[in-house]
Amino acid sequence: MENIASHEDWKSCFSEVAPGLLLFARQWVQSAADAEDIVQEAFVKFWRRNYKIDNRPLLYAAVRSIALDVIRRDKRRARREASVFAEAEPAIDPQFEFEDEAQSALAAAVDSLPHDQREVLVLKIWNELTFSEIASALDISQNTAASRYRYALASLRKSLQPQ
Amino acid sequence: MNDFSELENELRKLRPARPSPILFERVEEAMVDHRARLSQRRTLSWFTEAPHKAALGFGLAAAAVLLLLARISMEQRGTTAKTGAPVSSVMATRPTSANEFIAAGATQIVYNSRDEGLHFADGSEQPVRRLRYRTHQTWQWRNPTTGASFRVSYPSEEVVLIPVSGQ
Repeated sequence: MENIASHEDWKSCFSEVAPGLLLFARQWVQSAADAEDIVQEAFVKFWRRNYKIDNRPLLYAAVRSIALDVIRRDKRRARREASVFAEAEPAIDPQFEFEDEAQSALAAAVDSLPHDQREVLVLKIWNELTFSEIASALDISQNTAASRYRYALASLRKSLQPQ
Repeated sequence: MNDFSELENELRKLRPARPSPILFERVEEAMVDHRARLSQRRTLSWFTEAPHKAALGFGLAAAAVLLLLARISMEQRGTTAKTGAPVSSVMATRPTSANEFIAAGATQIVYNSRDEGLHFADGSEQPVRRLRYRTHQTWQWRNPTTGASFRVSYPSEEVVLIPVSGQ
């Protein structure tokens, strides 16, 4: 049954989750604009069916699924346009707002993590999901989510240590 | 004990890039559009859900009324014959067959068709193309024994939803 009263609630929900969702979407796409497209599509689809965000793993799973669709679509498009854009560098928008050099280095270190570790880290740190929710969103076991997180932190610490 | 707590705190201080204000506008547009479609779907549900049933029901009702009128008229004619004129032997042998009418024809003339574009029906995520046809239907019955016939004509409107596949 449709809950009319909750129609306006999406604004507060979206304001709360949008930065984290965008960062999560950025794990698959280079540009901020593409990530916003993914987040918009996922959030609108999710809200139409749920009208609340108490099932957060489902929301993140929707973002992931749409992002993977976009990648598949873009690969086909890239093949078609390869000759046109052969020499063009892809635009890479920053994923974080830096305040100093240390934060810039930290962001770069996060960027260099293996993909499976980075997505767990993004969900845990900037989206505040529990390991159980991360496991559900990524369709992995809770232990796998926890170990990937620890590997990510260990890799970060190693890469940030002075040589 | 979590020996990464300091690193986790540093990571939390790193703020994700903020979404553009346009994103909020776009999501709002999508939400408004969805609500508009929902209300439009409610008002159109009668047409989208049962256009064929409505046309068929209306046609059958009209046919039933005319059949009833025809029967009454024939019975009255039979009564008049009994009271007013001498009944021929031929007429006397046909009381049952005289009431038999068989379907003799049906025509449907489409006099207007309109493509109303893409819509989302029944909460579906898949768009459908909606075509509206305005037709004039005629059904005809004939009594082979007496040669009597009657015809029912009525206007009807039919809405056809054709699923549209993506890309």
